[in-house]
Amino acid sequence: MLVTVKDLTKKYKEHVAVNEISFSIEKGKCIALLGPNGAGKTTTLQMLAGLLTPTSGKIEFAGYEKSDYRALIGFLPQHPSFFNWMTPKEFLQFAGELSHIPKKRLASRIDEVLAFVSLDQVKQKKIGGFSGGMKQRLGLAQALLHEPELLILDEPVSALDPTGRRDVLQLIEQLKREMTILFSTHILHDAEQVCEQIIMLKDGNVKWDGTLGLLKNEFDSLAMKVKTVEPIKGCLDTLDFIEEIEYVDVTTAKVMLRDQSETNLLLQALIRENKTVIHFEAMQDSLEDAYMKVMNS
Amino acid sequence: MKNFFVLFMKEMRESMRNGKWIWLPVVLIIIGISQPLTSYYMPQILEAAGNLPDGAVIDIPTPTGEEVLIGVMSQYGTIGTLLFVLATMGVISQERQNGSLMLVMVRPVSAFQYIASKFASQLVILLAALISSYVLAWYYTNLLFTSVSWTLMLGSLAVYSLWIVFIVAVTILVGTLLRNNGGIAGVSVLFLATVSLLTTLFPKYMEYSPGNIRAQASILLLEGEWVRSITNVVGTTVGLSVLCFLLAVVWFKRFERYDG
Repeated sequence: MLVTVKDLTKKYKEHVAVNEISFSIEKGKCIALLGPNGAGKTTTLQMLAGLLTPTSGKIEFAGYEKSDYRALIGFLPQHPSFFNWMTPKEFLQFAGELSHIPKKRLASRIDEVLAFVSLDQVKQKKIGGFSGGMKQRLGLAQALLHEPELLILDEPVSALDPTGRRDVLQLIEQLKREMTILFSTHILHDAEQVCEQIIMLKDGNVKWDGTLGLLKNEFDSLAMKVKTVEPIKGCLDTLDFIEEIEYVDVTTAKVMLRDQSETNLLLQALIRENKTVIHFEAMQDSLEDAYMKVMNS
Repeated sequence: MKNFFVLFMKEMRESMRNGKWIWLPVVLIIIGISQPLTSYYMPQILEAAGNLPDGAVIDIPTPTGEEVLIGVMSQYGTIGTLLFVLATMGVISQERQNGSLMLVMVRPVSAFQYIASKFASQLVILLAALISSYVLAWYYTNLLFTSVSWTLMLGSLAVYSLWIVFIVAVTILVGTLLRNNGGIAGVSVLFLATVSLLTTLFPKYMEYSPGNIRAQASILLLEGEWVRSITNVVGTTVGLSVLCFLLAVVWFKRFERYDG
């Protein structure tokens, strides 16, 4: 375990932004924090990054004694803003010195990260003239600069156009091999592309914490889609392992089973009835469906 | 300690780029040397104005060098104070409003290092401007009026500098309390004006007030030696400045958020 979060709470006067959430982050994993706007994602990430003081609860880094663990973290805010009069190189130099990176190492690191986010062409230009996508990439560069244990990205792709979004997702994909990443998003597709683990938040509570595969299994509807040459209506109604049948047309039905392992029984029943099965498919719920189910539960 | 230095150097570079290092000394120098020059040329200026009745005799006693320097300090007192507050008001609120403070505070930077770097960098700029202005005014005073010894000049400058220290401390404290530039300037100026006003209204009870700093610097010039009352006022001014600074650090630590 790299980080253990226990009963983390943040209250703003009466409003509870984050309500006693607990989770842990394993080293080397890529975790997505999902949830609608206002679920408490940014608040959680900022507390993890040491920018907000929790009202109560604990954040512990394995094997790190000091209470100020900011040195272990790289953070990209939702809307990173820099000193506009600086150039990317100057800013990274400034940031690196604040993180106590040795001088020689820093010089090579700056070139590395600028090349990584493809800003090496503009390293001598003023940040003030940068586009949103360039600022986002520079934000990523400063978060990586000191080779943190945990990389925290707050909505890294939400404000970007499709190209910028693909670029940043590809960068995250590459970074996954080197460090632990925690990022928030409200777009499921992004999470599905790069993450193994998902934590869902709603109204400051953890609604789901587990791997993507588990999520799909858990919320699998156990539905089978069956299509036969002969009309299908009527022949399955008496079977007791079927929970519900929905007829799409005369020859097609969606069959809900009580147990996933009973698909064979369904097939046997169809053959017994002398039906010619031309389509037999387990219907997988998309992540979107699972998400909606979690959020509405 | 290292982070203090890094932040301090960043402040220096920033004020170099945004021109603070140029306009502030220039404006202060103009304010400073205008005093000996206008004092010296006052008869000619009045004559050139030309709306005096015939036969009017203008007899303005020539001030001594010390009196001219006291006049210089009173020039700093009004426009100077406003200028110093305006130059200092945005140093924290600006970084807070545009969110760049966040990317500083994600690094292992302590509140003390951050506030100290702001405080020190502002002091260096303002004092450099004050010193260049005052030394030039002293130079012209020596040319045009009786000469003032450089030890007295430096002594009065050192005492008066504490007023700048106090202004910066107050403005930085208000700058951590409020987010809006106008509010910071307003509250700081109001506070400093109140201190000065109370000092003039109730001299008996406000003997040690920082508002007396200029008066004490004048006493030093006129008496030519360090007297007990100077020590008292210097003591309270330094003490209150340190207090403001520490309060600013405490308040900064209690920030709920670093953006907006």
